This record gives sequence, C-alpha cells and structure tokens, in this order.
Amino acid sequence: MKGLVIWIRTAEGSDESILDKLGRDIEERGGRVEVFHSEAVENLGMEKNDRAKAIACAMLASHGVVVIASGTEKPGINPGEKLEIRIIEESDLRHSDTHDGFMRDLELAGLVPPPKYDVHPDEEKEILKKLQDLGYLEE
Amino acid sequence: MLVPPHGGRLIDRQCEGSEAEKIINQVRDGILLTLNAREKNDLEMIGNGAMSPLEGFMSRADYETVIDLMHLVAGPVWSLPVVFSQKDGDPDVSPGDHVGLKDIEGTIWGDMQIEEVFKADLLAEADKILGTTDDSHPGVMYLKSISGKYIGGKIRSIRRRETESFQNYRLDPKETRVLFRARGWKTAVAFQTRNPIHRAHEYIQKCAMEIVDGLLLHPLVGETQEGDIPADVRMRCYEEILKDYYPSSRVAMSVFPAAMRYAGPKEAVFHALLRKNYGCSHFIVGRDHAGVGNFYGTYDAQMIFEQFDPDELGIVPLKFEHAFYCSKCGGMATPKTCAHDSEHHVFLSGKKVRSMLKDGILPPPEFTRPEIAEILMEAARKGDN
Repeated sequence: MKGLVIWIRTAEGSDESILDKLGRDIEERGGRVEVFHSEAVENLGMEKNDRAKAIACAMLASHGVVVIASGTEKPGINPGEKLEIRIIEESDLRHSDTHDGFMRDLELAGLVPPPKYDVHPDEEKEILKKLQDLGYLEE
Repeated sequence: MLVPPHGGRLIDRQCEGSEAEKIINQVRDGILLTLNAREKNDLEMIGNGAMSPLEGFMSRADYETVIDLMHLVAGPVWSLPVVFSQKDGDPDVSPGDHVGLKDIEGTIWGDMQIEEVFKADLLAEADKILGTTDDSHPGVMYLKSISGKYIGGKIRSIRRRETESFQNYRLDPKETRVLFRARGWKTAVAFQTRNPIHRAHEYIQKCAMEIVDGLLLHPLVGETQEGDIPADVRMRCYEEILKDYYPSSRVAMSVFPAAMRYAGPKEAVFHALLRKNYGCSHFIVGRDHAGVGNFYGTYDAQMIFEQFDPDELGIVPLKFEHAFYCSKCGGMATPKTCAHDSEHHVFLSGKKVRSMLKDGILPPPEFTRPEIAEILMEAARKGDN
C-alpha cells in the first residue's frame, strides 16, 4: 500500500484526540498507522513548526505507513511515487457524513484498508439460514 | 479470506419490507422516471452490491472517465458506463430532485437523489465503448434508441422477491460470499454464460476447478438479444448436468441478473469486476467473451486484461482457448494441448447445433451430453431456441 499523510487542519492549540480516533479507525481495519502528535516534534528535538512536522511525516509515510498529523497551516510537502497526501479540515472530520465520505475516498484510492467485514456478522447468520432453506448448505 | 469487494466494501442500497414501503410512499405522488429493461437490471445490481463501488447511476465525471480511461474518478477500474437516460414523456428534472424510478408498467423499483443531468455524445460513447457505430451492433442500436440526456445520482432499489424468476437461484453478492465462507472456499472461479452447456464448457470449468476451491456457475438472466437461448432452457441444462457430473460441494449455481451489452472486451472486464464482488477470485474468459457478430477479435476480450495492474483488478482472468473432443487424444483438449489435425476434432458452431436440433438430429455425445441435447431438442421443438 502507498504511504499516506493525513493532514488535519486545526485551530491553534486544538485538542489532538481526533487524530487518535482516526488512527484507531484505520488500525482496526488492519492498516499500519502512526499518529504524529505535536509533542513528537519537540521530543525529536526538531523545530516546532508545521513544515518540520510535515517533512517528518512524509519520511515516515514513504515506508508504506499511514501517518496522521495536524497543523494550522498546509503541510507544504508534495505527493510522490510512494506518498499520497490528503488534507482535511478538523471540523469535517467531526461530522459523521464528511468523516465517512473522507474515509471512503481513501478506501477507493487504495490508501487505507476497507472495513474488516464484507457482511456484518449479525446479517451473516440470517443469510446462512436462507442458504440452508434454499438447499445450498446442509442444516 | 475471500477477495475484498471492488473498491473495498460491498454497497448495500437494496430495501425490502417496511423500508421499501417507506420509499414507495415518499415517491409515489412525486416525480416518477421510467426505467428501461437494462436500467432496471442495473438498478437491481447497484442496489444489491454487485456493481460496488457504484452507489447510483453515473454523473458526468465518472461517465467521461470510464469512457476515456476505464477508471472511476475515485480510482477503481471500471470499464462500462452505468447510466440512466431521460425518457420521452418523463418530466424534466434538476439536481437536488428526489425522484421515484418505475418500470413501463408503473411499478416503483427504487428512487434516486439527482446529482446531475447532462448531455452525452452517444455516438462517441458507442465508438469508445463498443468500438463501432455500426447499426447492426445491438449495443449501437440500444444507444440510438435512447435520448442523449443522462441523469446521475445515488439510488436505492426495492427488492420484490415475489416477481423474480429463478427465485431459488437468486443470490446477492453478500450471500455468495457467506456461502463460499461456509463451504470453506478461499478461492472461487466464476463462469459467465449466456449459452447452454456443451462439453467444451464443462471441460473449461473443470480445468479451472483444478486450481481453485469452488466454481460459481453464474448464468446471465438479464436482458439478452433475440436469438440467444432463453435463460430457462439454459438453467434446465445446468440443473441436469449438475446432477451427475459435478461434485456438489465444489459447485454453486446462482443467476446473474445483468443485461448484456455485447461490448466484448470492455464487458469482459465489467463481468470480471462484478464477479469479484460476488466473492470470486478468478474469472473464466473465453474467446470472444460478450462479443456479437464479427465486431471483436477472437482474443480481444482476453488481451484487454493486460492493460491493468493485477492488483487494481483484484480478480484473476483465466483465459481459455476453444475446447473440443479429439478422437486421437481420446478426450477433450484445446489447441494448446492437442497435437492433432482438426479433422480429428469434434467441433460444431452454435448455428450448426441449432440447425441440427431443429431437424431433430442430436449432436454427437462428444459435443453435447445426451441429457443436455434432449433438453435443447425439446426446446427447439417448442420454438424456444
């Protein structure tokens, strides 16, 4: 899978829990994901600015990982052969419709794995019964 | 684990029972647009997820990208337009309108949230998709019979099981997926057919079965052209041959409710992608798959798959030569496996078989199993083929 930086545009000093939530969503699908918090930049001894953060994210993502980070500015990095960059406003991620639409676009582009189930386990039970009734499966 | 659906997830926009009633109540007194036979088939297959990732009839951007590049705007491979045409006598509509979709008898089959109304160049569509603008091609005739105005938008389809033909064989993609898993199949090959089964088909299917866990026999029962063997005759042939000649635990038969477009190579890709949604990892592509007349080269429908990265297709095309019985080999073979001259081969054209059946002559058992020949003969007597 191609590497991906998901760059969430936020207001200054915004709560970064939304990054973790998105990270968990992708991890539950079986994606390799790294959430890059602002403090990570400082811990790495780097200058605290969005550009430095974005470069670090791009380097990490180019190894086939999904990297989620946030910033008040645009990341200022370019996609490449091994790297895709998607930018989304924090407010859009907080609405279920736009959140789902964003994730769906990533799925269709092959950048994040699809949900684990093709058929929900509850529905699967009903289908099994139908298949037995039709003679496709033994009771 | 089965192959994932095309675009990652199975679309489910099909409604039944109270949910369907709700749609009918919402649209019955509003704007109703008319589905033709092909669009009705497409509506069903978008709704049940067979056409995943499509969620509705295409808007202009997808339509143009599919025609020019064989991909959807969002990325996945897609080789044929799936569109809804404005009909004479239907009201004009605009983006934002919520409309009902009915057949010519007035039965409501779904709804659409209109996103776009756009003009299309149907001759250009014919040229790019069918490779011809010749009136003798049924796909060209179809395009010349519709308006050049398309209406795109997300749909919901209504399932009316009581009206369906082949009710015991109607499995949606999520149902075939559950079936394959329950049988322990990790790989399955789909066989698309609009012909009765002869020994050559049986041979090809069984060759394919040697490398996968199971076979999905998937006869097409949507709209076809006059002259094709009717679906009920083909189904009877398959029912008969499955009784004695296939291991039941390794085969499933279900109908494929798509309409034929006769788009040859592009339709072969389309058929493969849809079978991926049904959970199949492999798809048999014969010579001149989905072809008609002499519009396509013998191997065009096989070669087109080379234009794609295997990962973006997500289903493996199994390309077969025509098969025949060779009296020297003493068995079924193809030009790839037989060293003998054609004088030793038992091979009959479809036209020749039809003529024999009409004259009351059974085709040789090396060509058609006698049980199948009897069914075809009976159908010929009744004028069904």
